[in-house]
Amino acid sequence: MSELRFEDVTVRFGRTTAVDRVSLTVPVGTVVGLVGESGSGKSTLARAAVGLTEPESGAITLGGRPVPHRGARRPLQMVFQDPYSSLDPRMSIGDSIAEALPRDLDDVRGRRARRDEVARLLELVHLDPHRARDLPARLSGGQRQRVALARALAGRPEVVIADEITSALDVSIQGAVLNLVRELQAELGLSMLFISHNLAVVRYVASRVAVMQGGRIVEEGPTAQVLGAPEHDYTRELLAAAPGRKPS
Amino acid sequence: MASDHGRARRWRGVLTTPVGLTAAVLLVAVAVLTVLGPVLWGTSADAVDTRDVLATPSPEHWAGTDNLGRDILARTLVATRLSMVLAVCAITVAVAAGLLLGAAPYLLGGRAGRLVSAAVNVAVAFPGLLLALFFAVVFGVGATGAVMAVGLAGAPVFARLTQTLVAQVAGRDYVSAARVAGVGRLRILLRHVLPNIAEPLVVNATIGAGGALLAFSGLSFLGLGVQSPAYDWGRLLYDGISAIYVNPAAALAPGLAVLLAGLAFNLFGESVAKGFGVPVLVGAPELRSRGRAAAAAADAPTGTDGDPDEAADDVVLEVRDLEVVFPTATGTVRPVRGVSFDVRRGEAVGVVGESGSGKSLTALAVSRLVSEDGTVRAGRLRFLDQDLTAPDSPALRRMLGTSLAMVFQDPMTSFNPTRRIGRQLAEVATEHQGLGRAEALGRAVDRLDSVRIPDAGRRARQYPHEFSGGMRQRAMIGMGLMGTPSLVVADEPTTALDVTVQQQVLDLLAEIRAADDVALVLISHDVTVVAEVCDRVLVMYAGRIVEDVSAAGLATRAQHPYTRALVAAVPHMDTDLDQPLATIPGRPVDPAEVPAGCAYAARCPLADARCRAEDPPLVAAVDGSRVACWHAGEPLPDPVVRTAEDRTGLDALDADELVEAP
Ligand SMILES: Nc1ncnc2c1ncn2[C@@H]1O[C@H](COP(=O)(O)OP(=O)(O)OP(=O)(O)O)[C@@H](O)[C@H]1O
Ligand code: SF4
Ligand SMILES: [Mg+2]
Repeated sequence: MSELRFEDVTVRFGRTTAVDRVSLTVPVGTVVGLVGESGSGKSTLARAAVGLTEPESGAITLGGRPVPHRGARRPLQMVFQDPYSSLDPRMSIGDSIAEALPRDLDDVRGRRARRDEVARLLELVHLDPHRARDLPARLSGGQRQRVALARALAGRPEVVIADEITSALDVSIQGAVLNLVRELQAELGLSMLFISHNLAVVRYVASRVAVMQGGRIVEEGPTAQVLGAPEHDYTRELLAAAPGRKPS
Repeated sequence: MASDHGRARRWRGVLTTPVGLTAAVLLVAVAVLTVLGPVLWGTSADAVDTRDVLATPSPEHWAGTDNLGRDILARTLVATRLSMVLAVCAITVAVAAGLLLGAAPYLLGGRAGRLVSAAVNVAVAFPGLLLALFFAVVFGVGATGAVMAVGLAGAPVFARLTQTLVAQVAGRDYVSAARVAGVGRLRILLRHVLPNIAEPLVVNATIGAGGALLAFSGLSFLGLGVQSPAYDWGRLLYDGISAIYVNPAAALAPGLAVLLAGLAFNLFGESVAKGFGVPVLVGAPELRSRGRAAAAAADAPTGTDGDPDEAADDVVLEVRDLEVVFPTATGTVRPVRGVSFDVRRGEAVGVVGESGSGKSLTALAVSRLVSEDGTVRAGRLRFLDQDLTAPDSPALRRMLGTSLAMVFQDPMTSFNPTRRIGRQLAEVATEHQGLGRAEALGRAVDRLDSVRIPDAGRRARQYPHEFSGGMRQRAMIGMGLMGTPSLVVADEPTTALDVTVQQQVLDLLAEIRAADDVALVLISHDVTVVAEVCDRVLVMYAGRIVEDVSAAGLATRAQHPYTRALVAAVPHMDTDLDQPLATIPGRPVDPAEVPAGCAYAARCPLADARCRAEDPPLVAAVDGSRVACWHAGEPLPDPVVRTAEDRTGLDALDADELVEAP
């Protein structure tokens, strides 16, 4: 396990600065929640970490070394926000998951092992393993997101970046996934950067929280402290708007 | 995306249009001639008859003879094979070279990639025939040279097409996901990109084959292509022209052949393109007009006049016994199984339920957008006194276009990626409300502003991919507000939004609702949001409504065990952090395997023998709420016990096998 660290990272698209000199650390075995308004740069930061966007300056390291963006082993995995476009419409969900399995699985145990592994991962996200040969079009939004989750876990990552992964999930499965995240974290020390707009969800899984606004991190600290005694105005605003807070 | 079944249906659709059918018949005829032509007429085509040279049409020689007395018609028929083979070879060269050039920028990336695409763009600007002539000179006179010439001349067009299509697919998250998973660029190209662009490429290649045929005949006609004694249509045309004053038919016959075959390719390609469409490019307004005729209500249970729950005057939307059926390999599935509800003017109705429970399909059925392979049946499906099960008509489409706003769950594919956001919004107003372009654009900017898109004027000129996920969703809502809707159907509109914006959007929806008495159907898996925004909540399970309860009563007065479990499963700001979250054990019912009896029985702590045998009907209580449960309102076992049970459910998942510590 290694520590994921952003140091002074800036990402620009043309004239807009999406991420502005962000420094953030995801310590080993910790779930760090990242909250903030839409367009505040949360997803961009995540995409920079996995190499989908080139940062203009700054460094992103995993265990002190730059995050590998080439080669078969990808210790940093990501689950995407939009379950509709994150699965290839022409590829069966089983194949999509199998594609992300570590390559060495081929040599050691062969095809059979891959199939079993795919089945196990599908079970894990509450999908019927018999649906492995279905195309994504046959699945509803929530079902697709579960496939995406299984695919990220297939790569046996050291750190997982989860970008709004529960926002499209049902409350029934959301609970199970959040419980699972906590279990993985407690038992195996999986580290995670957990991006979500849902403060209640972040509060439940993350031990630290970072609040992002306009490309900058405006507040960061232990969850209880940030959500219990927020120092920044924007954090207070977020808390005030959290659903379930409104008197009815 | 189309299932195999949908594909077969679309092929049938293509072949039943007059143009499509004619083109297909012509193509088959050409194919038959290609195979059989030389076999049947080979000898007569080569039979020299010096006594009868340059004859005009006669009963023996329908198109006359050439300067050696050979039969022109026979020669034209025989030439089909060579002409076709050469055209197909040429288009193959064009597509292959185009694919290589078009995919190169993606594979190379960076500066080399940009260089290739710039070169392609320059090459596209050259007239094709000029290029062909240039290459013909380079490769020398003869069939092979001409194939290369025509092929390479066609390559830039395919290169550009490939490049555009690749860029489009490469921007999708599944390609990003594959990259993150460590899949190499070449593999991504072969596995994810090419299969997803194959359809438009093949269609364009078919159209291109017609062009290649013409170009080829052109080269042969100029004497640069096929050399005698071999002959294709162009060569025959070349020979025929020299004798045009003696026997015009000698030039007409091969000319007509070129024309017919070329047309066949073009028309066939184009009707296929039209029939299949390019799914990713379809924008929302087009989607709307694609709404298919819903099947009539004949075999559904009747909700006839005099029905006790006959709709009141202020009902905007009336749904009775709605069913959606899809064909499968082994029969049919029914993901929506008899849904009935009303929406009154200005009322906000929430629909909650797990993924796959049929919420979206219900919404799509109301807006006539269920994909073509599905069948919609209803005892009654009326919106503003219009029958939504009636066949598609322009009037119905216009009515839906202006009075019904649909906000989709999927913000990416609801926009056409190739057009600016502002234009797409404006289109709704120009199309359905007859606004001028400038006026419509002004309104679009105004609506974008009202859904809190910062700097709306500038943003309106951007493309969908330049918007963040949340902003796209908001723009989509803005699009729904372009008309003057009586009903807004919003399917998970705030799912991807952060709380502050979510609140603004919900406030915005509430505002519109209050101002114009607009009714709202809000579909969400987020029970909290629904409870806050709506007056009434419909809870769906396995394609049925299991409970219909006032929003205020959701937390306290819900009767159905499923509704109560849903409410309990939502984490809130003071959830106990030391306890696992309450979950609902088991998984939702697969529409293909709906059990007899109550669909929820397998997961319900109150289930008994009767539940497993008989499906409980949805019965109304005095206060107007409805519930479908044999044990409605009975106390559930202690929540702690239930939580423990859920834990077993999760433990069975064997979490510790999931990630092995390296
Ligand atoms: N074209 C189709 N062919 C076959 N089955 C389909 C098709 N479209 C949807 N289904 C099935 O119908 C069921 C209901 O789908 P629907 O999209 O309405 O669910 P939903 O309640 O909106 O779920 P979510 O909350 O995940 O969006 C699902 O099991 C889905 O797999
Ligand atoms: S009918 Fe029976 S199984 Fe169904 S919800 Fe009610 S108690 Fe549970
Ligand atoms: Mg849905």
